[in-house]
Amino acid sequence: MSNPTATNPPAFAIIKNRTRFFGLSMDECIQAFFGGNALIAVVVLGLITLFLFREGYDFFNQNHHNVTVYRRAGLEYVDIIRQKDTDHAALSRYLSDIRLRTLNHLLKEQHLPLATANAQLAAYDDFSANFADAFDPVRGLLSELTETCTAIKEQFTVAENKKTERDQLLAAGKSAAAAQVVINDIDFKVALQPVIGRLPEYKESIHTVAERITAALSTAPALPTPELQKRLERFKQLARDHVDQFAETIRQMEQWDYSKPVSFGAAFTGFIFGREWLTASFWQDWYGILPLFIGSLMVSIIALLIAVPLGVGAAIYVNQIATPVEQRLIKPAIEFISAIPSVVLGFFGIAVLGTLLRAVSQTPWLSWVPGFPMSERLNGLTAGCLLAFLSIPTIFTLAEDAINNVPRSFKEASFALGANRLQTILKIIVPAGLSGIISAILLGFGRVMGETMVVLLCAGNRIAIPDFTAGLGVVTQPVHTMTGIIAQEMGEVANGSIHYRALFMVGIVLFFLSLAINYVAQVIVRRYKISIG
Amino acid sequence: MTSDVKNPYASKPTAIRRWEKSFFWVFRVATYVVLLCGALIFGDIFIKGSRTVFRAEFPFVNVPFLTQSPETLNIFEYQGKKREMGATEFRAFREKEETAAKAEGRPAPEIKLIDNIAYSAGGIFPCIVGTVLLIVGSMTIALVLGVASAIFLSEYARQGPVVRMIRLAILNLAGVPSIVFGLFGFGMFVIFFGWNTSLMAGWFTLAFMVLPVVITASEESLKSVPRGFREGSLALGATKWQTIQKSVLPYALPGILTSSILGIARVAGETAPIMFTAAYVMSDKLPWQVAKVSDFFFQGVMALPYHIYVVSSKIPQNEYTERVQYGTAFVFLFIVALIAMASIVLRNKLRSRYKW
Repeated sequence: MSNPTATNPPAFAIIKNRTRFFGLSMDECIQAFFGGNALIAVVVLGLITLFLFREGYDFFNQNHHNVTVYRRAGLEYVDIIRQKDTDHAALSRYLSDIRLRTLNHLLKEQHLPLATANAQLAAYDDFSANFADAFDPVRGLLSELTETCTAIKEQFTVAENKKTERDQLLAAGKSAAAAQVVINDIDFKVALQPVIGRLPEYKESIHTVAERITAALSTAPALPTPELQKRLERFKQLARDHVDQFAETIRQMEQWDYSKPVSFGAAFTGFIFGREWLTASFWQDWYGILPLFIGSLMVSIIALLIAVPLGVGAAIYVNQIATPVEQRLIKPAIEFISAIPSVVLGFFGIAVLGTLLRAVSQTPWLSWVPGFPMSERLNGLTAGCLLAFLSIPTIFTLAEDAINNVPRSFKEASFALGANRLQTILKIIVPAGLSGIISAILLGFGRVMGETMVVLLCAGNRIAIPDFTAGLGVVTQPVHTMTGIIAQEMGEVANGSIHYRALFMVGIVLFFLSLAINYVAQVIVRRYKISIG
Repeated sequence: MTSDVKNPYASKPTAIRRWEKSFFWVFRVATYVVLLCGALIFGDIFIKGSRTVFRAEFPFVNVPFLTQSPETLNIFEYQGKKREMGATEFRAFREKEETAAKAEGRPAPEIKLIDNIAYSAGGIFPCIVGTVLLIVGSMTIALVLGVASAIFLSEYARQGPVVRMIRLAILNLAGVPSIVFGLFGFGMFVIFFGWNTSLMAGWFTLAFMVLPVVITASEESLKSVPRGFREGSLALGATKWQTIQKSVLPYALPGILTSSILGIARVAGETAPIMFTAAYVMSDKLPWQVAKVSDFFFQGVMALPYHIYVVSSKIPQNEYTERVQYGTAFVFLFIVALIAMASIVLRNKLRSRYKW
């Protein structure tokens, strides 16, 4: 002990473990490990972006091709004619609407029996039938052209598929088999000749149509009330405009050229501003996000209109007014609500709420409410109510936090100046916490926008832009949403098809929308935060 | 205490006070409307669901419902009576009747099939198993990744662009819709990695989805451990890692776990991310009935939330299907409520236990 030798170091000497990996000490390694893990959030966010784009980016190419084929195969040409047919049908519906109103008037105001009322409307019915039939001369031509163009498109698709097959065979090195693939390339110019060649025929028919419409219009009977008469005059005006547009249509058709290149922007605007989402149709598929976007927006707005007063009201109550016992009970209870899975809420909507809302809407004394009675059990309102319930905990918790963060001194100063509790709450505390409350509402909005199961189960899933002419009653129309369409159609599409890519594009839109909402919420909190002083 | 003695100091009911009172009532009503709606939804599902799940006699629980696989429900008319049976039972019943009839030499009895409805008989055992597997797997991944990144953020990181970026990413990740996670999981795990519809794909998708919740919760728990603990440990000569390991993590762990339970509730409740990554509408085999061990990780499973979606949207609503619909919803809500309740109770307990 007294003589430690050089080979036998003292027991108390510190032996530091100097193991090094890649020049890093143990502690540095551990730090690097944790640091690497911390980056995972960034990595995941990057991966989400990457993979959404990886699957979705080709959509515009494919959609461009889709729109190009639409023009080359003459579908666009036929749709010019079809548009007129659709317009005509819409006008006919307008006429039946007027008939319904007149009938109601005769039955309810003039108290006529049904048979007499119908007899009085006989002249009107003749007029209406004449008008509806006026378009008949063109309809035959339209259906023939539809068939021709579908055949052209079909032929083209087959040729395309064959080409892919040949390329695959060549890539696999089977050149003998590849040489055997017969490709019937289609010459659009020749194929379209029978379509374009029928323009004179169309001109003739549309001329007849115009004459028949004018003739029908002159036989329009008088209607019993000025209000109805006004509607009829409006109809006549619309019908005359309709006829006037025939010349424009013919001009369009004359100028139409199958070989005109489709700009790439058309594929883009066709998605962003497209008013139709039509898939697996025999005629032409459209991938326009607008109906889905509007559906999502409408449902979210309904939800927020319900959730914001309730959520913020509850936050104010719990934080400022409630007794301590209430506070202790209500806060966990509302937090507990947030644990209800959305699919269970969706099921509740299907099983109970939808039926209940419809039953309520059918009570006679509620018929003044816009949109009541509702025709569908599952619609925007049903989904909106459930989404509101779903977003209340989010809004409540964040808004309560925001109110809680308002410095005590603000409240005390207000009381000291003689304000009562209500004045303090409405004029001091809420304005002071407003930035937080607004960001709470925004985050609630994000939550509602991104919710899938409730809207998939309860929104009615009708892909169409809601009819806003119904005024506020629009809320009771069934809609489809961006989240819903992904969940519904993703399982059924072929990987790599244009439909598949379109769904990923919808996902990209949703992703960036949620990032934008998040960003705005953060900016609001940061910029309008009052400094504690 | 007679009513005619007035309190001279009592405040007078002025218009402003009435105004204040009525406004307070508005807020109160808003709060209680929310609670009432919650109670109604819970009540409806609990009452109608408990008819399926509970029994009046021993063992008080509908054991077959919890231990069998879903089956098609056959509704048929037999000897003038309307009866309903699950597919297996129905087959056995028909066979028995036919053999009995053959033995007695009389013509086979007529069994008139009225209707058959998918998934409406049997139980939901595979769904429960699948859900548990999904939760356990994804939470393990999420906890490992989440706690590690929380340790970095609270113990190692210094303010800087990297940390700011990480925090921003966490914040934004929390707002990404669940269906987008589903798409991402599908694009990355199912297609790109070629895992197909599998447990693994579901695990990672769900884990990434709860990551922000876990990180935020863990970081808060780590931050709540007093500085003195770390300083004391470092002063005694411990290294950074030893400090974290011995005097920070043990005190933060209960908090981390309880707050993460909220994340578990969220994982359990989500349907959209597993729709195309992990869930099968129907699978005949239970998850452990696989040929190889590796198959276990790469098989799709049935899951409760997806099953609820299937039974509420793919089959009609009537008295035959109500049983399984409400029963499944009840069991699922029960599991999720239990998890959420546990987290809330534990958190309140912990708050009172650790006071420094």
